[in-house]
Amino acid sequence: MNDVLAAVLEAIAVLCYVALNAFVLIWLERKIAGHIQRRVGPLRVGGPGGALQSLADGIKLFSKEDFRPGGRDSLVWWLAPLVSMTPAVMVFIAIPFGQHLIVHDMNIGLIFIASISSFGLLGVFMAGWGSNNKYSLLGAMRAGAQLFSYEIPAILSTIGVVLAAGSLSLETIVAKQSAHWFLFPQILGFIVFYIAVLAETNRTPFDLAEAESELVAGYFTEYSGIRWAMFPFAEYGSLFTGCALATTLFLGGWHGPLFLPGWIWFLIKTYILVFIAMWIRWTLPRVRIDQLMDLGWKFLIPLSLVNILGTGAYIALVR
Amino acid sequence: MSLPRTVWNTIKSVVIGHSVTAREIATRPITVFYPEEKPEFPTGSRSVPVLKVNEESGYINCTSCGLCERTCPPGCIDIEQAVDPATNKKKPWPHSYTLDLSHCMVCNLCIEACPFDALEMLDVPELATYQVQDLKFNKEQLLDLWKTGKAIRIAEGQPMPSN
Repeated sequence: MNDVLAAVLEAIAVLCYVALNAFVLIWLERKIAGHIQRRVGPLRVGGPGGALQSLADGIKLFSKEDFRPGGRDSLVWWLAPLVSMTPAVMVFIAIPFGQHLIVHDMNIGLIFIASISSFGLLGVFMAGWGSNNKYSLLGAMRAGAQLFSYEIPAILSTIGVVLAAGSLSLETIVAKQSAHWFLFPQILGFIVFYIAVLAETNRTPFDLAEAESELVAGYFTEYSGIRWAMFPFAEYGSLFTGCALATTLFLGGWHGPLFLPGWIWFLIKTYILVFIAMWIRWTLPRVRIDQLMDLGWKFLIPLSLVNILGTGAYIALVR
Repeated sequence: MSLPRTVWNTIKSVVIGHSVTAREIATRPITVFYPEEKPEFPTGSRSVPVLKVNEESGYINCTSCGLCERTCPPGCIDIEQAVDPATNKKKPWPHSYTLDLSHCMVCNLCIEACPFDALEMLDVPELATYQVQDLKFNKEQLLDLWKTGKAIRIAEGQPMPSN
């Protein structure tokens, strides 16, 4: 009974954090976009700097008409937002926010995150198929190609860290970085991983799956109201987990030079990476699909293989 | 293009792009918070043509010649000439002068057509109303608008006021 209660409480805590985080990130994104374009972004709704804008948007989306497209594949269409949101939330349980501040430390934490986050693709594809709309299907096809291609460099680039740490458990990986972070021996892996995270979360240099100017809204063209809101919710959730994973693997997780609590260090590093992702989004234009594939297969995968080879050779010869 | 060159070009353009956007983040936004602070309207802004009172005589300059009425492309000006009831003769001033701002396209042609310097272009933009009928201005309303607003004459042959 206590186990069940603990599990429920953990789930509620994670959900609250994910929701709050998504609200803050959406507001932050709009503020950054505004200031880059010499505007001020949302300001009028309330809170410091219009911080309650996302809450107002959420209430609006909740109260909207539940529109369902005709000719949809009902079950698939209905399940798709849930399927794409669930993995984004599930990934949070394996991320170490601080020492012992982790929902569940698994000895295969990294593999767990890699496999669970791949499920997001299923939700995207279900949305594209279930909507019975050519834009949705095109967006889903692109998302399929893109997410599948960038899963490989994302995982390959973490292998260098796994070799250096000798463990797949994220807590152990962070603990091994107490002396020096893995960023500098693994700088190649970090760059590949960060680019792959941007592509996996459909952020703008790689947002072909929802390219507004070409595909209306891509795979969630036919969604509105709270069903639509689940897709950005999942997107910002996985943006956070991607950056949190980069912090865990390369930037020393909860370790920091000053005497602050570990989780604060972790959040500072993660939100700096999130800020850089948003900065990139509002700077770079969208790439073409062939450029995207070229970058993934001809550049990032060889680069991550070189990284694995170098790390392996170093460990085999020097240690 | 060779691979090292492509990589170099990519890195260079990414760095340049990000430095530009970083500079923009640091720049003050150019947003004007409209209802609280009013923007400066450039010289020659046009909102509504109004009737004008001759400062010397104290009468309106309009002789009800009808040139503005005939020039107006959307036909939003409607003039009725004054008639002396005793002699039944026409008088050189308008009995009624109606301007329908909901049709007016603020083209400034009526002012350019007026040979008597009787019309002026107002630069007050806040003329929104809740009813379309309220945008139909009669002679007295046009005179009131002229009195309240900062009127600028930009008819042909006249130099632009230099603020």
